[in-house]
Amino acid sequence: MDMTALMAPFEKVASDYYGYARDAAAAGRKVAGCMCSYAPQELLYAAGYLPIRILGREGDTRRADELLQAFSCSFARSVLDSALEQEWPFLDLVMFSHTCDTMQNVADLWRAHTPDTDTLIASMPTRTDGEASLRYCMAELERLKKKLEAKTGPISDEKLTEAIRLYGDHRKTMQDLYALRAAKPGLLSGAQMMTISVAAFLMDRAEHLPLARAVLSALNTAAEPGGVSWPRVFVAGSMCRHVGFIELMEAAGCAVVGDDLCVGSRSFAHGDPDGDTPIEALARAYLERIPCPAFHRDGRHPGHALVEAARRDKADGVIFLLTNFCDPMAFDYVPVKKALDDAGIPALSLSVEQHREPPEQLRTRVEAFVEMLRESEGA
Amino acid sequence: MSDAPIYAGVDVGSATAKAVLLDATGAVLAASVIASGGNLTDAAQRCLSLASDKAGVSPDACAAVIATGYGRERVAARSRSVTEITCHARGARALFPEARSVVDIGGQDSKAIALDERGRVLRFEMNDKCAAGTGRFLEVMARLLEIELDEFGGRAMHAAAPVTISSTCTVFAESEVISHLARNQNIDDIIAGLCNAIASRVYGLASRARLAPPTIMTGGVARNEGVVKAMEALLGAPIRTPDDPQTVGAYGAALLALESE
Repeated sequence: MDMTALMAPFEKVASDYYGYARDAAAAGRKVAGCMCSYAPQELLYAAGYLPIRILGREGDTRRADELLQAFSCSFARSVLDSALEQEWPFLDLVMFSHTCDTMQNVADLWRAHTPDTDTLIASMPTRTDGEASLRYCMAELERLKKKLEAKTGPISDEKLTEAIRLYGDHRKTMQDLYALRAAKPGLLSGAQMMTISVAAFLMDRAEHLPLARAVLSALNTAAEPGGVSWPRVFVAGSMCRHVGFIELMEAAGCAVVGDDLCVGSRSFAHGDPDGDTPIEALARAYLERIPCPAFHRDGRHPGHALVEAARRDKADGVIFLLTNFCDPMAFDYVPVKKALDDAGIPALSLSVEQHREPPEQLRTRVEAFVEMLRESEGA
Repeated sequence: MSDAPIYAGVDVGSATAKAVLLDATGAVLAASVIASGGNLTDAAQRCLSLASDKAGVSPDACAAVIATGYGRERVAARSRSVTEITCHARGARALFPEARSVVDIGGQDSKAIALDERGRVLRFEMNDKCAAGTGRFLEVMARLLEIELDEFGGRAMHAAAPVTISSTCTVFAESEVISHLARNQNIDDIIAGLCNAIASRVYGLASRARLAPPTIMTGGVARNEGVVKAMEALLGAPIRTPDDPQTVGAYGAALLALESE
């Protein structure tokens, strides 16, 4: 098994944020940028677009700083700055989704300042349970479908079903990879898993799927190298695309075995539900997924869900990556932290800036946390 | 010079580099403290040599060297490095077996560490990226007031009516101090105000880490009586300070070196 060769295509895409989409556009593909995992990529795919995620990038954000208040998060700053700096000339469409007020305003600023780009806003229901949410979500997907059809021509049920199936198959493979990583972290590191996820967000899923399956089949039969037993860490938090944070944790001597991150398992964890129409099936998939902190489901306590996930992955501790001024995550953090405390699961929180790799000061905190987990394990 | 094995802890902080040497029984042979300066590799080497000279041993005789502190990766002689959180906890619990928490205020950061009943780290909190309210802050204020740093804590004890310093940001606090000087405030009252400001900032960390008594204070700032008294008032419990709080991290590192053998 040649892990370097298996990982190479993912690393290539993940390390060149604009490259894959730019090349696809140059080859004649229409490209749609999605701001959030709640932008229904299946619709875009069925309409003939290559949907990719806009994930934020490194570098300063001085153009966006002119327009955004001091209390806007670094993700909003980073993505808006990339638009103001005209870094996306190859995008035909940008799809936002209503997650928080800041991102809603970023959508307005994006439209005002790059009038040549087509934009759509997906308003998915904030409450994801109940019949009313389903009806609302289906109506919203129909509305988006009509908007797209006005640009690209009719989207047939067959095309949409095909796209839903591709995304469902891809999620299933990603779920299997996440499960394998939790079972055998010595074979697939957290940093490698995150690289595969980042690449998934930047690639055509039809191209990513066989590459991900190749990793899965190579590792399914491989034996985990024995030896060191490392503390197992679960990572949760706000939007973060920097594999460097996971590398920093693993360099400190832990194995990142699970996550609840947008650029991670949360975006791939849902099933492939049926519906009377493709739109209904799609609506059910988005409503039944693990809600991100901007969405809610009645009876679901974000803390209890995290404790359950951490226990499922046999985590010794949880590390939070928190973006300053990410209000939806900050509201969840309080009950989540309390639930972890009550469950006796140690947690560490790190503050994340989207436009920079982890600062050196975080290393001491992460190393100390790992030493702490190791000492308590040794008891 | 004897051939008995020696165990060393080297703590290279942002302000000072410290070394502690132990014999095989864990007894302290020597300790040293020097300014870190601009070359951390060199500082690590020099403080280790100084301690070896004091102990009358060769620095090469060390069976194991554990490096800690912000410059831990710069210690050429290290067998391995361990963070200062673990080292301060280890050192504090060796000096005070009953310790349940440690507050360490160093040159550029402060930490609140909760210990379990066996002295292991249970939780910790560290200050954010900036060095507000740490040793560096005290140095700048001492220079501004033209007071020796060693006198700073004692002067705070003479304050009749401490002033309020609302910020531990060094730049903001400096202008507040200058305003107080312009109003001809008593220097001791200003010093006490500065000590209170540091204590209330660190108290925030201590509450987040839910520290339980008895609390041990380590790091260079623990030598400042004014800050210790202000912390005690906020915590509502007495604080214990080691004779040499600056070297507790290096002492903990040396104990880990001994235990690793």
